[in-house]
Amino acid sequence: MAFLKEIQMEQKVLLVDQEKCTGCRQCEMVCSVYHTGASNPSRSRIRVVKWEQLGLYLPMTCNHCEKAYCVEVCPTKACHREPEKDNRVVIDKNLCIGCRTCIIACPFGQPFFDHKERVTVKCDYCDGNPQCVTFCNVKAVSFVNADEAHLTKKKEAAGKLANLLKQARG
Amino acid sequence: MEVKSLNPLVLKKATKPQQEWKTIIAIYLFLAGMGAGSFIIGMLIHWLGVQLNPLSIPSIESIGLPLNLGRLPILWGPILVAIGAPFLILDLGIKWRFFYACLNPRTSWVARGFIILSVFIVLGLLIFVKSLIPVKWLYPESKLWLFLEGIALLFAFATALYTGILLKATKSVPLWNTSLLPLLFLASALSTGTMSIILSLLGTGLISYDSHTMKALMYGEQIMVVIEGFLLYLFLSRTYKVSEQGKDSVRLLVTGKMRFLFWQGIILLGLVFPIILEWISKYYQNPAILFLAGISLLTGGFFLRLGILRAGIKDQIPMQRLLELRYELIQNSKAETNPNL
Repeated sequence: MAFLKEIQMEQKVLLVDQEKCTGCRQCEMVCSVYHTGASNPSRSRIRVVKWEQLGLYLPMTCNHCEKAYCVEVCPTKACHREPEKDNRVVIDKNLCIGCRTCIIACPFGQPFFDHKERVTVKCDYCDGNPQCVTFCNVKAVSFVNADEAHLTKKKEAAGKLANLLKQARG
Repeated sequence: MEVKSLNPLVLKKATKPQQEWKTIIAIYLFLAGMGAGSFIIGMLIHWLGVQLNPLSIPSIESIGLPLNLGRLPILWGPILVAIGAPFLILDLGIKWRFFYACLNPRTSWVARGFIILSVFIVLGLLIFVKSLIPVKWLYPESKLWLFLEGIALLFAFATALYTGILLKATKSVPLWNTSLLPLLFLASALSTGTMSIILSLLGTGLISYDSHTMKALMYGEQIMVVIEGFLLYLFLSRTYKVSEQGKDSVRLLVTGKMRFLFWQGIILLGLVFPIILEWISKYYQNPAILFLAGISLLTGGFFLRLGILRAGIKDQIPMQRLLELRYELIQNSKAETNPNL
């Protein structure tokens, strides 16, 4: 148990700040090059969702959820958790049959089906050195300790809620 | 706080139906449902010992034995399921890895389904072959066969229910995430299964059009169609109330892009025409009209699966909800400062 706690303390996560993102999609490009060798954003594990009308860009990647639906529904155990590597959820390409059940089950629009390899792919933190973090010029994506991320997220959520309430009350 | 008006751009992204499972999966759902339903009805006919007419087609010999084709039209359900199952494999990214699909039965319904389908196909085909080959050393009247038939019947129910559970188990599509879906698919499996038995019995002349068994089968099938219609109403009204994405799915089906498939394919072909045509067929004592009713019902059964599959819209992610909320507030504040907007 102590060992597990230690892992959780050291666990790192990807943190996205959509206020900083400019929608340049550099992260998609480097992710694709790193994982497939091709500069093809459609094969990337991170996707920038754009709301042009609002001027909002949101890099979306796997949240490696505590209760991961993709792991639950995978029929071959290709989609599994690795507690020893930042508690990440990864897909073993050699076991994946490409049934796409995990894509339908995920409420965050992940993972993705790679039409060239015919399997489902997702973010694996680039084995501890996420390329999207390294190459993001505006630092919209960062790889931080889970505890720190939770604190930042809580602060952000509180700030957003306060702003919304302020606007709602006029 | 209720969001009234949405940015069309945001709405378009949120209401896009799933694109992963398409027609191939609908064909599987239809064939598996109809095959399992027809096996259930066929097995009931077999157990009740219904007297069937001599077959009007010539006898066939195989491995030096005359085949008994008398039970073929009532026990052919597993063949339909065996034809349907490869459609699941066809839809896979890497097809030859299909046998990996049973490694995680603890939580995955796809894995459990693989096992259910395999057991049903194997047992069903065994019983089918036993009924074809009339040899004494198979002991066709023994209790072991009765036990196997009972197990196969259970797995036939499981196969019919599983077609709905497969969709329900994905959880993030509100249209599918209801216990009514497996029940709806079971009702449709029984109605299409009964109709396939009626068509095969009439086509081979094993039962005459005016026999009591045929009348009982037709009544049973009509009752199942009415139950199916009632379940479809409950299913859609429940989904409409459950969440915004559920509402979007129902709108897409009933009044949106898929309205032709819903009203003409599911409601008219699948529910209304079969009952009307069967009444006309009874009134004029014309089996040809019954064939038309059968084809209409089976086509409607396929469209039911296709419609539900294609109208599945995923639950909205929290960030998207936040953006909508923010957009609503921005719009409201703009409208307050400039009423002409």
